[in-house]
Amino acid sequence: MQAVSLKKFFDSGTLFVWMCGAGLALSLLMIGGLLALIFINGMGYFWPKDLVQFTLHDGSYVLGEVTGHEVIHDSVNADSPEGKGRIQLKVGNRDLYGLDFRWIDESHIQAQSTPTDVVFLERREWGNFYGRPHRVMQGDSVVASGHQEATTALFPLIDRANEIHEDIHYLERSVIGDINHEIEAQRLSLRALELEGRANQSEVATREQEVAVLQSRYEAEADKLRVLYTQLEEYSVVLEDVNGTTKELAVGQIIRMLQPNAMGVGEKVWAYLGNVWTVLSEEPREANTEGGIFPAIFGTVLMVLIMSIAVVPFGVLAAVYLKEYATQGALVRIVRIAVNNLAGVPSIVFGVFGLGFFVYAVGGSIDALFFPEALPNPTFGTGGMLWASLTLALMTVPVVIVATEEGLSAVPREYREGSLALGATKLESLLRVVIPCAMPGILTGLILAISRATGEVAPLMLTGVVKLAPSMPLDGTFPFLHLDRKFMHLGFHIYDVGFQSPNVEAAKPMVYVTTLILVGVVIILNLAAISIRNRMRRKYAGSTI
Amino acid sequence: MPPSDVTAQIDDLPSVPPAKTRFVAQGRTQRKMRALLDRIATGVVWVGGLATILSIMGIFLYLFKEVAPLFISPESESQATFQTNMIEQPMDQALAIGIDQYQEVAYLIHKGHIEFFQVPSGEPIPYEASQDPITENIVAVAHSAGRGHQYAFGTDDGHIVPVEVGLTPTFHNDIRTIIPTMTHDTPIRVDPTESGIATLAYQETEAGFAVVMVSQSGELWLTVLGEGEGLMLVDEPVITQTRLATYPDGQVTTLALDSLAETLMIGMSDGRLLHWNLQDPDLPQLSHTYLLPNASDRVTALSFLLGDRSLIVGTNKGIVSVWMPVPTEGSGRPIPYKLVRSFTSHDGSVTHLSPSRRDKGFLSTDSTGQMFLHHSTSNQTLLEMRVGDAAIQGLMFAPKANGAVAFNADGTFHVVNIDNAHPEVTTETLFQPVLYEGYANPEYIWQSSSGSDEFEPKFGMWPLIFGTLKGTMYAMLLAVPLAVMGAIYTGMFMSPQLRGIVKPIIEIMAALPSVVLGFLAGLWLAPLLEQIFPAVVGMLILMPLTVTAACIGWQFMPRSIQIRGQSGVDLSVLMIVLFVTILGCLMLNTSIESWLFDADYKQWFRSVFDLHYDQRNALVISMAMGFAVIPIIFSISEDSISNVPKHLIAGSLAMGATQWQTLTRLVLISASPGIFSALMIGFGRAVGETMIVLMATGNTPILDWSLFNGFRTLSANIAVEMPEAPHGGTLYRVLFLSGLLLFTFTFVINTVAEIVRQRLRTKYSQY
Repeated sequence: MQAVSLKKFFDSGTLFVWMCGAGLALSLLMIGGLLALIFINGMGYFWPKDLVQFTLHDGSYVLGEVTGHEVIHDSVNADSPEGKGRIQLKVGNRDLYGLDFRWIDESHIQAQSTPTDVVFLERREWGNFYGRPHRVMQGDSVVASGHQEATTALFPLIDRANEIHEDIHYLERSVIGDINHEIEAQRLSLRALELEGRANQSEVATREQEVAVLQSRYEAEADKLRVLYTQLEEYSVVLEDVNGTTKELAVGQIIRMLQPNAMGVGEKVWAYLGNVWTVLSEEPREANTEGGIFPAIFGTVLMVLIMSIAVVPFGVLAAVYLKEYATQGALVRIVRIAVNNLAGVPSIVFGVFGLGFFVYAVGGSIDALFFPEALPNPTFGTGGMLWASLTLALMTVPVVIVATEEGLSAVPREYREGSLALGATKLESLLRVVIPCAMPGILTGLILAISRATGEVAPLMLTGVVKLAPSMPLDGTFPFLHLDRKFMHLGFHIYDVGFQSPNVEAAKPMVYVTTLILVGVVIILNLAAISIRNRMRRKYAGSTI
Repeated sequence: MPPSDVTAQIDDLPSVPPAKTRFVAQGRTQRKMRALLDRIATGVVWVGGLATILSIMGIFLYLFKEVAPLFISPESESQATFQTNMIEQPMDQALAIGIDQYQEVAYLIHKGHIEFFQVPSGEPIPYEASQDPITENIVAVAHSAGRGHQYAFGTDDGHIVPVEVGLTPTFHNDIRTIIPTMTHDTPIRVDPTESGIATLAYQETEAGFAVVMVSQSGELWLTVLGEGEGLMLVDEPVITQTRLATYPDGQVTTLALDSLAETLMIGMSDGRLLHWNLQDPDLPQLSHTYLLPNASDRVTALSFLLGDRSLIVGTNKGIVSVWMPVPTEGSGRPIPYKLVRSFTSHDGSVTHLSPSRRDKGFLSTDSTGQMFLHHSTSNQTLLEMRVGDAAIQGLMFAPKANGAVAFNADGTFHVVNIDNAHPEVTTETLFQPVLYEGYANPEYIWQSSSGSDEFEPKFGMWPLIFGTLKGTMYAMLLAVPLAVMGAIYTGMFMSPQLRGIVKPIIEIMAALPSVVLGFLAGLWLAPLLEQIFPAVVGMLILMPLTVTAACIGWQFMPRSIQIRGQSGVDLSVLMIVLFVTILGCLMLNTSIESWLFDADYKQWFRSVFDLHYDQRNALVISMAMGFAVIPIIFSISEDSISNVPKHLIAGSLAMGATQWQTLTRLVLISASPGIFSALMIGFGRAVGETMIVLMATGNTPILDWSLFNGFRTLSANIAVEMPEAPHGGTLYRVLFLSGLLLFTFTFVINTVAEIVRQRLRTKYSQY
């Protein structure tokens, strides 16, 4: 009886249905787990964690943020079936200890506490400092001494130092940067005249004179800069780690000071938001592992914008041609299949093409024709914003063509015929009836193209992305938009910081944050595309013939 | 369709302007304008649309254009031929010729005199010796291998004079002029026998030079000018002179020294090749004696190829061959040379061999005026040229390997341009095993560059293609079952509402940037997997069991709950079951390791299967790339399953077939072309995936199917090497070839998939 029902159970195939369901469930678990992993790690980065102080059996102290815990491999045996654990601690103080991270065996720990007077210092060099300020000095005289006094005295000094840093940044980037730019422009124009053989004595003299004027302006600004730099050195603080090792540091080296153990939840939330803003708005420091990722966000957005400007007209034009103008036949069908398949060609192939065609062939010719004075330094003959955008445009144009064609197909024939019957020309019915109706399709295509371009890295690595761009592709110097400049990109930032940086462990949180932002952008774009597509489907559902 | 629907839709239309003002009242000009505009627009759409499509297609052509030069056979062109009047009686030994790197000035040395010529005009350049002219009677000239033009002149009284010919480019107003010079050092006595120099070999070294001389009496002497032994305050150069052997009766025909002067090869008239080891100049040893394969042949020319690891040998029968040290079991040091390849034979006796200073190519000339260009790695004779009809007396490959000079016994001087950009690449070197220098057997190797200029580039593509296939295969192993099963479940057994939620989730999975997956695979999954590998094995075993158990358990649930299964309860149950299984396996990680793998899985795999576990391995790739491929296969399969006409399914069910029977006998068969095309497209995506493999494999181009080590794919290889590849170089073009391969491969696969899908569509549109 039992056997019969078991056979029936197998014959009914219910088990196989369940197996299929398990396949789906596992896929869903995988994506859920992945998104959760990115989200938790990315969001956790901003939270100011408590600093934990461990007292070890040998009498020494360790202070830091707890970042991990694991069971020591090979420690599981008959005596301790659970194994022994160890704690990963971010101890910072790279200048004192050499390494940011330290593993501590749980068996070595005697006591654990969270003293409220310890501070967390974000520094311009050497990563974070965890410990206590001991005394604040102005030159050789002590301004404040004792942990509490020194901490209180330090806050306004740090604010002041940050203001000076802003001034320095303005001077270096804007003022001196402009002067350097002008000097370079003079040099190039002189070289251009020489190349054309028109460099006569007076021309050379005027330019040299102008350069001399610029040079003296430069000297004046550089003096100001030197004053500011000495101001940064005015105050210094003697820091003390938990074991009493001291270290003197100029206040100008400190970006921020927090006392996480003394902060309430409200303060921590505030600091959390501040951290988010820092990451979104500031430039990277310390080989991209600290600071913000603003240039990467900006570069990604600008590149995608330029790509969209290039991709939409051509994609739509090609789709309109294929759908509305070309005689539908075998040839068009083949072309359609080919275009469709280009969307499946690996992105790195487009990168190779972009490098060979845009950078070397087109860029090289542009340099030879229009920028001979700068040679042998390439202007457009090297990777840059323009070439990267165009390469991605080429890569995504099939997506736009396919989506636009789908949009055009969804427009009922009655609309076209009605428009033509009312006396409109083909162009008029196209512009006023067909394309507006197909707009959701075009938009879907564009969004999908943008989403693909945002996350794509491989072709960019060959056509102009860099780990650290000295200047933004859009700034206050004429002609404002510098398409020849190299740029930073979120996806490449992940690759570079995660795999090329010397201190991967310290860089991981930053990579998670970047990943979170990138994944967030891509998912939002895709959800937008999906919802537009669904609306479009609903709108035209049932209206075909 | 009810009329109300139509109006509703028309109302929905975005901003169709009021028709009356636009279309009703208008004059003839306006109508003409409109017609004109329409025609212009038609033109614009035609031109723009076609141009866009053609330019996309142009990618293929451009890639092809960049690759093509690899396979274009080299060409040569005579740049100049002119008569010289220096030759009274041709004397092979005392003659040398050369040319500068820009091929603008050539020179001819004969019996201590030098004459410079302008190329291509052949006009002599007036030249005044900067030092005292060499007055001795020169009887032999030996050329030192290396960058410059260094020679030793052998005099009739047994001295040598080290000579350097300088061809220095100077620039004035961007115009280049070559300034020819010749400088010489003090003569040094190298022939203690005083019988006269018969044959000479000369090599400059870091410390000084080495000279090997065969006297008329047949004695072989080595003279080394090297650093002193360091006891003295100032290291005086020290000359050591050693007699190596005596080979009477003019047996020695030719000598070759390598560029470190550590190996001496002697060609004998009886077809023997003697291999002397001079690494210790105080204790030179005859290490090996080799025989030409044909005993009656004489060795007539010898030279080392760039890098000193291959010896080229020419014989009086016109045979040109390459010998290499081939390491074998038990062969001591120095490793004995073996004949590894022979080239097209000359008609006459080989007179000169001149190695390229850029690659493993070399020129050979013979007594009938033929000049051949060979390449060792690619084992081919690239060019056959003729420079006059008489014997060639002097030969030199131009410094940039883009030309050659040859001097003919009839007194003519020939300058030849050689266009030979990519000699090392043939379809054989790309796709077949090649015997490289230092290897015992022909092998598939990809190693495009190293620190040294003398490196032999190895462009075997097979390890990369293999890596691509390996990664793809492992990814598909994971992705195909999950994706197809998920698609079957979604398309066949799921309520439309739930499907509307599940499909977008999976589509978002498809949109995840691969750099994110690569980062997580490399920095999160790979270290984690190393720890929890036993748990993963446990999951593989346990998951089917727990799912079966859950399924059987579900049968005993009350009917009311079972019916609700349609709205996704069973899916949630499954997810919980799987989640618990995964958690359980993770917690039992160490226990599983002790049950299955003797408490140390790495050790276990090493001892049982001889597999070594690398952290970044194919298993990590299988999961990460599988993750990237699942949504693609899922979407397309699901589409084709849900596109099976509903009335067919309803019919099947109405006839009494169970859902499972309907699925296997109707739905899957109808949807199989769609699923097939899904697999193809997924395959194409996995083949071209770059960032995941770049970040999560070690990128080692090895040939090993093991799940536990890494590999290098074509795409990752491009990403790694392209930024370093000089524009237009061989590596650059080989990488373009990789790109072209990827392009062609994915394009063909996608096209097949698309055609299959379209046929499916036409097949079912008739129902």
